[in-house]
Amino acid sequence: MDLSLPNPSWSKDMRLLFDQFMKKSEDGSWKHLPSYKNKFSRRIEDIKVFFPDAKLIKEKISQAQLFPRNFEEGLGFEYAMFHNHAEDRTVCIFQGGPYLQGAPGFLHGGAIATMIDSTLGMTALIAGGIVMTANLNINFKRPIPLCSVVVINSQVDKVEGRKLFLSCNIRSVDEQTLYSEATRLYPTNVCGIAVQKWLCYHGLFVKLDPEKSLT
Amino acid sequence: MIRRTFQVAMSLGSHRVLPGAPCVLPRLNPTSAFGSSTDSLVSRFCPEKMDMKDYALPNASWCPDMLNLYQEFLEKTKTDGWIKLPSFKSNRDHIQGLKLPFGLAVASDKNDWRICTRCIQEEGQGYEYVIFFHPSEKKSICLFQPGPYLEGAPGFAHGGSLAAMMDEVFSKTAYLAGEGLFTLSLNIRFKNLIPVGSLAVLNVDVEKIEDQKLYISCIAQSRDQQRVYAKCSGVFLQLQLEEESSQ
Repeated sequence: MDLSLPNPSWSKDMRLLFDQFMKKSEDGSWKHLPSYKNKFSRRIEDIKVFFPDAKLIKEKISQAQLFPRNFEEGLGFEYAMFHNHAEDRTVCIFQGGPYLQGAPGFLHGGAIATMIDSTLGMTALIAGGIVMTANLNINFKRPIPLCSVVVINSQVDKVEGRKLFLSCNIRSVDEQTLYSEATRLYPTNVCGIAVQKWLCYHGLFVKLDPEKSLT
Repeated sequence: MIRRTFQVAMSLGSHRVLPGAPCVLPRLNPTSAFGSSTDSLVSRFCPEKMDMKDYALPNASWCPDMLNLYQEFLEKTKTDGWIKLPSFKSNRDHIQGLKLPFGLAVASDKNDWRICTRCIQEEGQGYEYVIFFHPSEKKSICLFQPGPYLEGAPGFAHGGSLAAMMDEVFSKTAYLAGEGLFTLSLNIRFKNLIPVGSLAVLNVDVEKIEDQKLYISCIAQSRDQQRVYAKCSGVFLQLQLEEESSQ
């Protein structure tokens, strides 16, 4: 079941944004990305190649549930992602539910970090195949009220060999309020052997300027 | 409104004195430029009588490593000045009688709102963790066991769940060490994935407090310290909570 489709817990703002992006998808420039709870259940062979340390048993794989999709409707992460292939960027519309509280009435910084990681991860995955996060750098500008809707705009800034540099910003629905910005480094794995090499290379990256604006 | 309120809070914060606080330290005190000392914050944070359920207690899902280390630190609470922090369903339970300052307080807080790291309440499925805090050394240790509902890569904890755990330990440590309230920045370097169901030990230190900001760092590693999972540094904004008015 595709969980990135509207459900009764979605607020009016969330639905409006979803409809806007679905409209943009009609000419093919944008594409809605489906999202399932059991993300890896169909790719056991891939898992063994890229994660040789993973102790996998059949029952465990069938239980494998992607963290942000493990909540009842409306209580946790409600989100949908759209990708623009020509511009190599991904937009995520996100509504953080009541089980993600930090300071009373506001979204937990870690929940924000999770959505940034997921959105940048998706952008990197599309751009570079199987990826793992090496570094995540987030600047929080102001707190996000619980149950409000935000837009996460992410893009690939540059690719250097097996390293991907990405950045994103989080804005309110009217795009006036900037909530946070983040940069991320992703090394990509072209084949199973590359996994081991990445573990040696991660110290060599250079962080990009998080103030760089999206145009 | 929130944006302006936040900006006002940042500029006025250093001049405010916590009204009604029993012992207000002067602003010139280098260890606590704000009103409340760590000891008074801790004693208010850890009430002697608790109506609410404390989730930071052993249960059947805790692995042997976690249980052993928990016992070790429980012993240290008797001898070495460590304190085990309670963990309630919502941050509102932790700050009873207090509220966010400068109009940031939300008027209607529903009872079923939960703190992010206690979002999954089935034993062993989500975040299993306990935090021990050392008031005089301003450091913390968190024993964290991620459950299967926190999965990212199959068999391993989602990077975001570790980020949330680190932000949460930072948040509690920053609050008790110096009234740090909101995260300003997080910088996480991921080294290795944490297998689901295994123990990760997070060592957190407050590096310095200056200009209304708290600088804090963390290393997450295996119990034997042979495997580093991630390193993280964060900056928190100092803001005093206000007493809730009795109107």
